[in-house]
Amino acid sequence: MIATVTRQEVEDFLFRDAALLDEWRLDEWLQTFEPGATYEVPTTDRPNEDPHRSQYYVWDDHELLSARVRRLKSKHAHAENPHSRTRRLVTNVRLGEPDGSLLPVYAAFLIYKIRDGNVDQFVGRYEHILSTEGGRLRFWKRRAVLELEVLRPGGRLSFIL
Amino acid sequence: MTQTTIAAPRTRDRSTRFIQEDWGRRIFRVNREAFRSEQVIEKERRLIWDRSWLYLGHETEVPKPGDFKQRILAGRPLIFARDSTGRVRAYLNSCPHRGTVLCRETEGNAKTFQCFYHAWTFSNTGELVGIPDPGAYPPERGFAAEMGLRQPARFENYRGFVFVSFAADGPSLREHLADAREYLDLMVDHSDQGLEVIPGTHMYAIRGNWKLAVENAMDGYHFSPTHVTFVEYLKTTGYVTSDEGGRAITLENGHSVLVFSGHGGRVGMQWEPRFGDAQKTLTEQNVKRLASRLGEERANRIASTSRILYLFPNLLLFDIEGLALRQLEPVRPDFTDVRAWELAPASETAEERELRIRILGSFIGPGGLATPDDVEAYECVQRGIVATAGDPRPEVDWSDISRGMAREAEGQPARNVDEAGIRGFWRHWDDVVSEKVRA
Repeated sequence: MIATVTRQEVEDFLFRDAALLDEWRLDEWLQTFEPGATYEVPTTDRPNEDPHRSQYYVWDDHELLSARVRRLKSKHAHAENPHSRTRRLVTNVRLGEPDGSLLPVYAAFLIYKIRDGNVDQFVGRYEHILSTEGGRLRFWKRRAVLELEVLRPGGRLSFIL
Repeated sequence: MTQTTIAAPRTRDRSTRFIQEDWGRRIFRVNREAFRSEQVIEKERRLIWDRSWLYLGHETEVPKPGDFKQRILAGRPLIFARDSTGRVRAYLNSCPHRGTVLCRETEGNAKTFQCFYHAWTFSNTGELVGIPDPGAYPPERGFAAEMGLRQPARFENYRGFVFVSFAADGPSLREHLADAREYLDLMVDHSDQGLEVIPGTHMYAIRGNWKLAVENAMDGYHFSPTHVTFVEYLKTTGYVTSDEGGRAITLENGHSVLVFSGHGGRVGMQWEPRFGDAQKTLTEQNVKRLASRLGEERANRIASTSRILYLFPNLLLFDIEGLALRQLEPVRPDFTDVRAWELAPASETAEERELRIRILGSFIGPGGLATPDDVEAYECVQRGIVATAGDPRPEVDWSDISRGMAREAEGQPARNVDEAGIRGFWRHWDDVVSEKVRA
């Protein structure tokens, strides 16, 4: 029942994730989440705090994540209309200890966001939990933790980290 | 608030370097140099940031004796701390010896702060308690006693909100807050156990002048067009908004407040479908408790109206779906650092806390569904106003802030979807930078 997942399969999943976001294929991207899955980005001063008790930058349940995607596809999402150019470098991929069909996955990311003459860098680590149910990888928790001290000089997470 | 209590419109005209106000022609304009100029930011530094009361932080950010946080305020590195006796403090984060940044941890808990450079050690109550080889200084001078940690000239705490001023003289904090205290009180009175700051600080930069962030918060006019995608999301959750009955109230000393009565839910105070059925009874009980503590009328005012309060110069308080603070820190004419916290009644349940975090998080902050579009607005203004710099035609390099003057002139109350709140800010700002009044 629980398929063995290799690092290469996880890397393929993460590289596709980066490509879907860089190419703004958000409907396809949303399909890589299990129903009930979450997307979260903690603040830079409290990266290990429980989101139930602390302020996060992003703490989306599946419904809010779907709303976020709907918004980003609208021409009225002014902060991303026109879209930023982004390029995501995802590396240093490690697999954690699986818990049933849930597999923790760790990786480093560096995202360049280019818009309006500015090149902003967002560097950090992914601490995802993937569902491996049926041998198919999907997000159960998509978690991006920034190494930045402050969102500076680029101060918006209007795109997906 | 009834119409008769609304102050008569200001009919005094002005024509200064930065502001043109002409009630005969219903003109209110701000010269765009106010957002672009290095001279203006220097003038502001001297006349506003080095003089006025500035919001430093909330006392619950340093809950335990010994807790401290670094914080930059008006460009100056500070230590915001609670000393071992439990007293909340502010120190300049600069060793009195040679000026080295003393505390290099962004936050923590400590009885003493030691400068790494020459190992001078200070207690968290500010005294110099250790110098290597103290015999090299003349004992008769009382050297250690005059080398204690430097503090901002003035420090005051209003119901948990801590302010400092770098000027030794000037009005007290209460005098500075003046009639804005009423609105601060409405926020603090949410709970008989006071408010506390939730862990996790939003810290982000905007490529725009700090005053654009003030204008944006005192501007209900932008809400529908700027936040159309957020409003569409809200509609899917059953939330309703209306601009009916909303007011802009200009307060003394540059403060102003927008009052919203037609917006939907407020966590713990006013239920909406998005909050879920379980919250319905809980919210009713909260409001009942509020009424027995403060009376029906005040409880109703606290629970059923939302407010955005601006305290001149650096604090915005959001008493909306949830409670939030936003602190503005100018860096350059076209660059501002923002720090934002979420507040909550200390007495609330874990379920209410979680709901509050979810609801406010969907809207506010760099990752919310609305704030990034505000940031886009500040940044687009900052880039756009370069187009008119130095234009020889007399009207071109001015921004129009006249919306609602016609209604005001007829004696009607100022609406929050007009620009009266912004005008109030600019009048006070103009008086301060032209040295007619002190901040």
